[in-house]
Amino acid sequence: MTFIQKPRGALRLSVAICAFLIFMTTLLIGHVSGSEVTRGPGDVKTGYESTGYETRSISVLQRTGKAADLLRVIQSPPLGLPPIPVPKDNPITRKKVQLGRKLFFDRRLSLNETMSCAMCHIPEQGFTNNELNTAVGIEGRTVRRNAPTIYNVAFFSNIFHDGRDTRLEFQIWQPMLAFNEMGNPSIGYVVEKIRGLPDYKGLFESAFAGREPGIETIGMAIASYERTIVSGNSPFDRWYFGKNESALTEAAKRGFNLFNEKAGCSVCHLIQNDHALFTDDAFHNTGLGWKFSVGQSGAAVPVQIAPGVKILVPKKVIDSVAEPDPSDLGRYEVTQDPVDRWRYKTPTLRNVALTAPYMHNGVFGTLKEVLSFYNQGGISNPQLDPSIRPLGLTDKEMEDIVVFLESLTGDNVETLVRDAFAAPIGDRH
Amino acid sequence: MNTLKQKLNVAAIILFAGFFVLAANSAWANETGLPQNMTKITGQEDFIHIWTLGAEGIGDEQDKLVTVDVNPNSAKYGKVVSSVSVGGRNEAHHMGLTLDRRYLWGATLDTSKIFIFDIHTNPAHPKLVKTITDFTAKSGGVVGTHTVMPVKDHMLITGLSNNRDHGGRSAVVEYTNDGKYVATYWMPTDDNLQGAQKTGKYADGYNYDVRALPRLDAMFTSSFTGWSNYMMDFGKMLNDEQAMKRFGNTFVVWRLSDRKPLKIFDVPGAPLEIRVAINPKNDYCFTAATLTSKLWLIYRDKQNAWQAKEVGDIGDPSKVPLPVAFTISSDDRLLWVTTFMDGMVRAFNIADPFHPVQIYEKHIGSQVNMVSTSWDGKRLYFTSSLLSKWDKKGRDNEQYIKSFEWDGKELKERFVIDFTKEKLGRPHEMKFSANTLYTKL
Repeated sequence: MTFIQKPRGALRLSVAICAFLIFMTTLLIGHVSGSEVTRGPGDVKTGYESTGYETRSISVLQRTGKAADLLRVIQSPPLGLPPIPVPKDNPITRKKVQLGRKLFFDRRLSLNETMSCAMCHIPEQGFTNNELNTAVGIEGRTVRRNAPTIYNVAFFSNIFHDGRDTRLEFQIWQPMLAFNEMGNPSIGYVVEKIRGLPDYKGLFESAFAGREPGIETIGMAIASYERTIVSGNSPFDRWYFGKNESALTEAAKRGFNLFNEKAGCSVCHLIQNDHALFTDDAFHNTGLGWKFSVGQSGAAVPVQIAPGVKILVPKKVIDSVAEPDPSDLGRYEVTQDPVDRWRYKTPTLRNVALTAPYMHNGVFGTLKEVLSFYNQGGISNPQLDPSIRPLGLTDKEMEDIVVFLESLTGDNVETLVRDAFAAPIGDRH
Repeated sequence: MNTLKQKLNVAAIILFAGFFVLAANSAWANETGLPQNMTKITGQEDFIHIWTLGAEGIGDEQDKLVTVDVNPNSAKYGKVVSSVSVGGRNEAHHMGLTLDRRYLWGATLDTSKIFIFDIHTNPAHPKLVKTITDFTAKSGGVVGTHTVMPVKDHMLITGLSNNRDHGGRSAVVEYTNDGKYVATYWMPTDDNLQGAQKTGKYADGYNYDVRALPRLDAMFTSSFTGWSNYMMDFGKMLNDEQAMKRFGNTFVVWRLSDRKPLKIFDVPGAPLEIRVAINPKNDYCFTAATLTSKLWLIYRDKQNAWQAKEVGDIGDPSKVPLPVAFTISSDDRLLWVTTFMDGMVRAFNIADPFHPVQIYEKHIGSQVNMVSTSWDGKRLYFTSSLLSKWDKKGRDNEQYIKSFEWDGKELKERFVIDFTKEKLGRPHEMKFSANTLYTKL
């Protein structure tokens, strides 16, 4: 084999041309604000229902990262949040968090190396998936429920929509092993796979005082990272807890009053004296689960086939290409108590403006739709939660509540998302 | 004597080469839209290689390259002669031949692996010689390998998704023929049009098929959807309002020589396959928008500027027939298009490309996907599978290859192979091969 040696001058010229091209490419990529890249899909579909829709797409190359010191949030929780619970048997350290972040974004941790935790909990999409009602797992397998956000998951002892797990350290193994999520055949398979990946060499030993990858250390590392995805100090927090009158708009203040009084949202989405998690961490029947399990569906479904173009597709046509709807009985699947049929966990409302679509099955695309649903009193069924009733809210009042809900977005979203962007995405090398 | 023999040999070689060049140039399009500068099978094809998706509960459940003998003079006519399993269900989808037709690259929409088969040593028994497993890492995060188009000694591969969000923003990726990564060309997006003109309202960054007209230094790409949608259950997706917003609505014209996007056209409703005209005087290509069931023409106007125009319906768009594959005849006069939902194939007279006229239709099966035609247009082959999670369920989930002859008026069935009964899986794209391609030349 022969090589043609370039003259030194030509080499220098090539380097200069490359540098110029990189510079020009930088210039050509338009300026996009940090919030556009970190708050919502780069593939923006707002207004797609209208014929006036125009794309505002953002290149995936804009997803540039900046690592943050995630431990700071543990040491000093944002305004409006209580101390972050950290289990005694898994004290949080910088090395564990960094290792957990690497695992969280590693697609090699699924059987066919296509799914990581982050493929359903996408950082710029509120650490959930704004693009799907319900999740899609390995090989496209159906997941019944909407991917819940990771934001502030550190505070909860009921994990998943049905609360079937109790600690983040344990929880991570469920998607890892679920046939329809990451599809790994066993715990041992995952452990051995990580042990065999050269880029993990020494990382577990360093983070866990000599301990190797194992059922405990893998869970501890990922849980440590998830525990740092904490977001508070929102405009609401600065107004309510920080006593800064100008932090909240008048519309949001009106919405807050409605939230607490006429609409009664705070019965389940709790606000305490010194902090607010906006959830009772309990389970309620709104009628949605009941409707999809035993209710009757219409003869045709409106399907959007292009911007501003919807057609009615007969249900029998859809059924011809649909697998049977998976059953979903909610909390009952954990307790086996008929009282718990179609009860689902109250989600936190922090960063709720970033975590559409809403409800356990993602059936509502906007907060306005959610409010309309509750305003009509949910869906009547024999076990409807007694706190759900027709609210008699006007459109203007619902708009004010939406403005209030939008004020619950924390001030560190860009920091957390940019930090996530800085994580390497694990693909087979 | 020797001199005379040598002269005869030289004459024979010239005659043979001349015949070959003539045949190659007259054959152009079909076989199913192969690149214009690729050697064509001008006579009877001997084999069809079918990129087949593994199906759970069927045989060894793996993706495989199935080879069928399609020469009527063969004792094995209409039979499976070989099957090469590749490991895993990778969502086998489309394939591409190297320009010399010696190697067949099988692309996959799920794992993004590319399986390279030697089909020249023994066309009846292809051999897996290389697997590219690091496509996503090498390309900078492109997911879902789709079309593989040869360009000189390189291959251009369209990706359909990315490893950040499994959405539709993606790229075209270039590899050498021996499987080495060269470059990634991301689709133009609003923040980075890369100098391209956004002619309408859309620049979504989505991708699907790629075709080229090298004589015009033009390359074309269409747009489908990302991993989350093409991998999920079709019925679930149709019921998912958010997911249904995530389809491509664009068609991009590129400069082939430096892979630079020039113009982005609005083509609403997920334009899928692209087929270019064969006649060097025809400066156009077609695409079919699958959700809106519209046929589009992308053509050069009198000022040599590229334009896009909707030129007709395929079936009844209100019934969402879902056009999925089409071919153009070698004289640019006939277009065959299959529609998945109603299992039909329709033939359009496209002598006037601005006014296609449907002249024939036939029901092929409960579902139908790919269609491939021989270069002379006399033989058509159909396969059944669209995507593993989009195929029909229950009794309508027929999985087959069907061979038909076209006499100018009617399609007549010649053979059928039931891929479920044969324990093979879901047959998708087809490529032809012939023993004569690899002998003598």
